[in-house]
Amino acid sequence: MKSRILALLGGTLLSASAMAGGYQVNLASQRQIGMGHTGTGLVTGTSSIFFNPGAMSHVRENGVTIGASALFSKIAYSAPESNEVTARTDNPVGTPFQVYAVYKINDKLAAGLGVYTPFGSTAKWGTEWSGRFGLEELSLSAIFFQPTLSYAITDKIGIGAGLTYVKGKVNLQRGIPVQDEAGNYGRAELDGDGTSVGYNVGVYFKPSEKLSLGINYRSQVDVDVEEGNATFTVAPSLKSRFPDTKFAASLPLPATLSVGVGFMPTEALTIAVDVNRVEWSAYESLRFDYQDAVNGSNFTENARNYEDAYIYRIGAEYKATDALALRAGAYYDSTPVADGYLTPETPDSDSRGLSVGLGYSVSENIKLDASFLYINKKERTDASDKSGGIAGTYKSVAYIPGLALTYNF
Amino acid sequence: MKNLFYKTGALALFAGVLLTSCDPEIDTPSSSAGTADFSSYIAVGNSLSAGYADNGLTRPGQEASLPAILARQFEKAGGGAFEQPLFPEEQANGSGYLRLAGFTPQGLPITQPVTSNLAVRGQNEDGGPLYTKYTENVNNLAVPGIKTADIKTQGYGSTLGNPYFERLTDNPMQTYLQYVQEQAQAANHTFFSVWMAENDVLGYATSGGAFESDPKYRITPVADFDANFTELLDVLTADDQKGVLMTVPDVTSVPFFTTLGPSVKQLLGANNIPGMVALTGSGRDRMPFAAAQIGAAENGIYFPLTASSYATLVGQPTGKYWKDLAKQMSKSSNELVINFTLTQLLVNYAIDTTAMFGLSAGNPLPSALVLDPVEQARIKAATDGYNQIIKEQATARDLAMFDANAYFKSIQGGFAANNVAYSPAFISGNLFSLDGVHPTPRGYAVIANEVIDAINAKYNANVPKADITQYNAVLFPGRQ
Repeated sequence: MKSRILALLGGTLLSASAMAGGYQVNLASQRQIGMGHTGTGLVTGTSSIFFNPGAMSHVRENGVTIGASALFSKIAYSAPESNEVTARTDNPVGTPFQVYAVYKINDKLAAGLGVYTPFGSTAKWGTEWSGRFGLEELSLSAIFFQPTLSYAITDKIGIGAGLTYVKGKVNLQRGIPVQDEAGNYGRAELDGDGTSVGYNVGVYFKPSEKLSLGINYRSQVDVDVEEGNATFTVAPSLKSRFPDTKFAASLPLPATLSVGVGFMPTEALTIAVDVNRVEWSAYESLRFDYQDAVNGSNFTENARNYEDAYIYRIGAEYKATDALALRAGAYYDSTPVADGYLTPETPDSDSRGLSVGLGYSVSENIKLDASFLYINKKERTDASDKSGGIAGTYKSVAYIPGLALTYNF
Repeated sequence: MKNLFYKTGALALFAGVLLTSCDPEIDTPSSSAGTADFSSYIAVGNSLSAGYADNGLTRPGQEASLPAILARQFEKAGGGAFEQPLFPEEQANGSGYLRLAGFTPQGLPITQPVTSNLAVRGQNEDGGPLYTKYTENVNNLAVPGIKTADIKTQGYGSTLGNPYFERLTDNPMQTYLQYVQEQAQAANHTFFSVWMAENDVLGYATSGGAFESDPKYRITPVADFDANFTELLDVLTADDQKGVLMTVPDVTSVPFFTTLGPSVKQLLGANNIPGMVALTGSGRDRMPFAAAQIGAAENGIYFPLTASSYATLVGQPTGKYWKDLAKQMSKSSNELVINFTLTQLLVNYAIDTTAMFGLSAGNPLPSALVLDPVEQARIKAATDGYNQIIKEQATARDLAMFDANAYFKSIQGGFAANNVAYSPAFISGNLFSLDGVHPTPRGYAVIANEVIDAINAKYNANVPKADITQYNAVLFPGRQ
């Protein structure tokens, strides 16, 4: 009887996502961000480790790049029929970063190591908003370590492959809709990490001085959290139903297939076009398995049913002087989240990106790259009735300045 | 190349402009009152409008009353101040209320009365409570316990009347209808809500139809309801004011009647007992029923929550219920008096306390602990009668109407909002408070949003919805 009365307690507790829709973070190189994050069909420098390992063997000299972006993201939320913006995120500044080192073993063969952060999401909604039983705060990050080899078959064709070792981390906090005697709501915190391996392969082809092509495939990586910590703060009289326990979960970081073309109409001008196909359909559901039953159940599962998404990119670089390069770009990123599946983790929708950047050679060996990217996601209203999300209207924007230093030798 | 320079510059400029308007905005419709006018809103009703919950009226309950929630939303569409007869802060526990203290081994909630910081100023001649007065003009005129049948009763505001009305008026002879008239004039109201009629059947239902000789526990005849309700609306629409009427929900579908049944059914099943015997109505008629009837849609049997402490005695030779009733009726602690009353009761109802309680014709379940199909049919007939009148009045007077009866039927299977599950289930359903009849503050907020829908539709208004998560549901023992 007690279990009957308490069976539905907390309702759909822990049913929402630990991750966000479109939690891919495409900020792999400051030069390329300035060009709309194109680069699959170009020799982008040390960052070819990421964009196309096949092009890495065509890099002319050894180099090391260190760069980072400051990601200011803001989301506004309007509850259904509230006639106003009822909540705003207070997200901490994200700091995606990248480190690349390329060493030319000989004319044909190059080795490299990349460390970069292609996935992540942060959303801090707070403990007051109407969706706090869906999500209060999420932080998701993944660091990729990628040792890479690239071989120039001819001076027109290069191939390359890298192994990715991935460390993922997730922390999710949400309210539990049960109150203690003072009216305080319960809270759940899920914290875990996991590692995994994948690969990154690419082919680069430069048929003429004015044209280059590339194809790149970054594999899916499943970050498996095996022994995460689930901590529950509830009224003492309910604690036995919400024991602190371990949890397991699996987070797919989807594969991305990219095709890119570069045009060099003059020596000073480079124009690039990329298309990415992100295989989000791998993300079918989010399931947490608990070692001890939480609120009467050993697991929770929520449908995600993401759809494969395409991103269309265009960018250009113009060398104004030998030392100074000016860049601009734009992209359109279609959302993988179908209607009914929107969640507050990342209330995703079709997004538009607009970027500018510049590169400046301080000396023969040292180069600075700066970029600025503005992302504007379309306002989206969703019933969120298929995913355990929070119904309402969401609007997201992000401002992302970034800086990188490259040393060539 | 000059062109490209220009473009790059323009892009940078564009980015700069965007940065200055940093926060994302959402275009939302603007709130409006439509053809309604919320500048002076008054609420007429019973406990459901007073903010009653957990078997009591408290200051926090008043602050989360249905009309207070509505007024808070009306404020965003031109609504004015909304005064309530709040208990003083130092007497915030008002009438006292039930708190959840824990669970029995069977899993039923253990409740405990809270008796500190009450707003009790004394007792009347019968030993009943008298509450701290609040005789200033108010917008919330709701009086817990009031029936539509009571609104023209003189003395209803006296110390022997309804203590919740007594505290509002200085004139013991003033009827509730006169009070409404006086307050309506003082407020010069532009909008009103009326949610009456629940108590016209509730007392009968919660007492299992056992005490019909007492007017408190009698069903109000539909014709009497009609006459009084019409007069009440005449007062409220004297100047063609706009407003909203609400129908009576099916009082038998609340947790007060649906919670206990399954555990009794389980108990019978476990002991291979096919059925029980109960008294029906207020007489000594016996009525046998099958275990399968418990909670059934057709010919169903319901047990009120008040039967919890007796349900465990089923099958035993016991007269506990009759002893308890005798104590209550005697109004005396003298054993001789109590025993005299007890003997009378046992003779009147032909009870043999040595027989198996609830399982034998000799010692049947008392009528007050069972709501049987005959009693349910009478409740339904009255409820349907009242609701038809409420709907007809709404149409005739061109008022908004929230069909609470239909709404509560529609949510029997539960629903989810903001990732929280809601249902009419006791405690876990979040909608009903510990008395099993009155909503939690959250439940009132859910209802308020439905009322707003009805108002918006009728008056072409756009009153925003309340954030229901800002209102409490059941509070569990202990501090986290």
